[in-house]
Amino acid sequence: MTLHATAVPFKDGASTLFPGGLPARGGVGLKPEHFREIIESKPDIGFFEVHAENYMVDGGPFHHYLGRIRADYPLSIHGVGLSIGGESALDRQHLDRLAALIARYRPQSFSEHLAWSSHGDLFLNDLLPAPYNARTLDLVCGHIDQTQEHLRCRMLLENPATYVEFAASTMAETDFMAEVLRRTGCGLLLDVNNVYVSCINRGRDPNAWLDACFASIPLSSIAEIHLAGFAQDYDSSGASLLIDSHGSPVARAVWELYRRAIGRTGPLATLLERDNDIPPFQALLAEVSMAEKIMYADAPRALSGEVCA
Amino acid sequence: MNKPMTAAALALAFGAAMTVAAMPAAAQDKMSEKEKCFGVALKGKNDCKAGAGTSCAGTSKIDNQGNSWSFVPKGTCEKTASKTSPTGFGQANEFMEKKV
Amino acid sequence: MSGQQAFVDALLDFGPANQACPSGLATWNHSDPARRFAVYRNNVMISLIDALADGFPVTQELVGEAFFRGMARQFAIAHPPRSRILAYYGRDFPSFIETFLPAASLPYLADVARLEMLRVLAYHAADRETLTRDEIGAALADDSELTRRCLVLHPSVAVLQSNFAVVSLWGAHQGLGDIAAVDPTAPQTALVVRIGLDVNVVGIDAATGRFIGRLIQGATLADAAIYASTAEPRATEFDLVASLGVLLRWKTICEFSAFSEFSAPGTSER
Repeated sequence: MTLHATAVPFKDGASTLFPGGLPARGGVGLKPEHFREIIESKPDIGFFEVHAENYMVDGGPFHHYLGRIRADYPLSIHGVGLSIGGESALDRQHLDRLAALIARYRPQSFSEHLAWSSHGDLFLNDLLPAPYNARTLDLVCGHIDQTQEHLRCRMLLENPATYVEFAASTMAETDFMAEVLRRTGCGLLLDVNNVYVSCINRGRDPNAWLDACFASIPLSSIAEIHLAGFAQDYDSSGASLLIDSHGSPVARAVWELYRRAIGRTGPLATLLERDNDIPPFQALLAEVSMAEKIMYADAPRALSGEVCA
Repeated sequence: MNKPMTAAALALAFGAAMTVAAMPAAAQDKMSEKEKCFGVALKGKNDCKAGAGTSCAGTSKIDNQGNSWSFVPKGTCEKTASKTSPTGFGQANEFMEKKV
Repeated sequence: MSGQQAFVDALLDFGPANQACPSGLATWNHSDPARRFAVYRNNVMISLIDALADGFPVTQELVGEAFFRGMARQFAIAHPPRSRILAYYGRDFPSFIETFLPAASLPYLADVARLEMLRVLAYHAADRETLTRDEIGAALADDSELTRRCLVLHPSVAVLQSNFAVVSLWGAHQGLGDIAAVDPTAPQTALVVRIGLDVNVVGIDAATGRFIGRLIQGATLADAAIYASTAEPRATEFDLVASLGVLLRWKTICEFSAFSEFSAPGTSER
């Protein structure tokens, strides 16, 4: 069995990604609502992240603005439609489109979700859950191997926000993810909001999740963090049911969890996601500052963004 | 126009058209064009968020519509001339969803 | 049946009860998994309705939000996406509207939606340089083959021929005129073209619309002109100079090319 450190595929130089990885700073999800303001005001921000599928169009304003913004900032391309956890085979055409996008923009990072969104020729446009067991593990690892080989880069896998559990699950989420990382050499995109949402929705302790994560996953394979806001709902018994809505500021409890995570990882590229009720750009910048304050005030390690180098 | 068109005639027409096209918009009223340019402010439609709420939470974006149709068009269409309604609004009440 | 097939079947069950739930789900507190599962069903439907609302803002304004979202919901049930790229979701929405009985009182609604879809397509169409005035002049000089040339138009260019006043109806929602003054039954033809980053909607006469529509399909200049001046019904006289003026003024021409494989196009323009 290969050691994890040597299993990392496509290190800098051999990779189609821009070398060096994302900087250990705060970043923001790029929204068309903010295109012009970003170009005009050139905010001091670490990086931008885009959803790959939105740029799978031939031309026009989206490519125009992304090209201009990419010239000034590091970029993360974050896929939402590959359906890595799906029973269906990966869509080779979609992989080709991802490869073209990566070739065009040379992002510092490419990531996708531990979830599925397609079934046969149906696209369901949501990140759907799968049971954590040996069968799903084989499926996910096969799809990640195929993706990394096709795109010729190391990808990051994001832990999901989930609302249900499966009787067929036999593994803890952290054990499942650790095994995926070990087998495929992919990195982890640690979505701290998803950790919180999923743990509350499964009656677990988010801090314990983080501890289990750090116990089983090498710090060096954690390459990015996501932060977002959730919405509060309730299940049929009146217990909290949290929705990963990306529609509000980051919750205090999630900031606390972030503080705990960054205390272990050191400063790390941290994305503020906002996809619903998008506020003025300045409001997002305030959250970015908060993240950078936490990562540099609380983190033991100085400036070590090149975790994937 | 039914005679065979010559290259020379077409080039001449292009020449005249280039003169027309170069004129300020006000001088082109006879072309009876209405035009306006607006940037389309489209959003990116693929994302990884969840829509707010389940089928029971209290937001206006909730998909809690049953399948019995109870809407009539209530927008700017109400300001247009009603003579354009050959079937009338009564149609709406008779609508039942076809089984998918 | 696979686990995900059962999940999908329950996910897309938008029946009145809204309670379908696949087997094999668990909850930590033994609450009803159907309630939690409903989050996914809700996500799917809301995201699709939102995607349609984004692409068809005038259609929504015409009928109001409640009617529009209800109609979009029925469409999403009948036509769930087959592509992972949602930018183009709704291509079939105008045809759906045309057959949607509750909207039958607004016969122009489908064509307004068609115009909006053409704008979305133009917005995302490929980038391509168009010829400058000087380049066009040079291309015209001493071209004895001019009548047999085809025009390669910008990828965003499209024509919509409607039996309704689509340009005025759409324009009234952009602050161009009062909607109460619009006669929706007046036939209009729209040219859609992106210049730089801006998508334009231009009202043109029907014969010019036929001419440009034919050029888009690959006809030679001469054939397109003959078609535009002879096709029935002849609503307007074809004015070649005015039509070429539209093409020039809206910077649509990318290339004068040699005729190729023009196989008698039908009347697919609308």
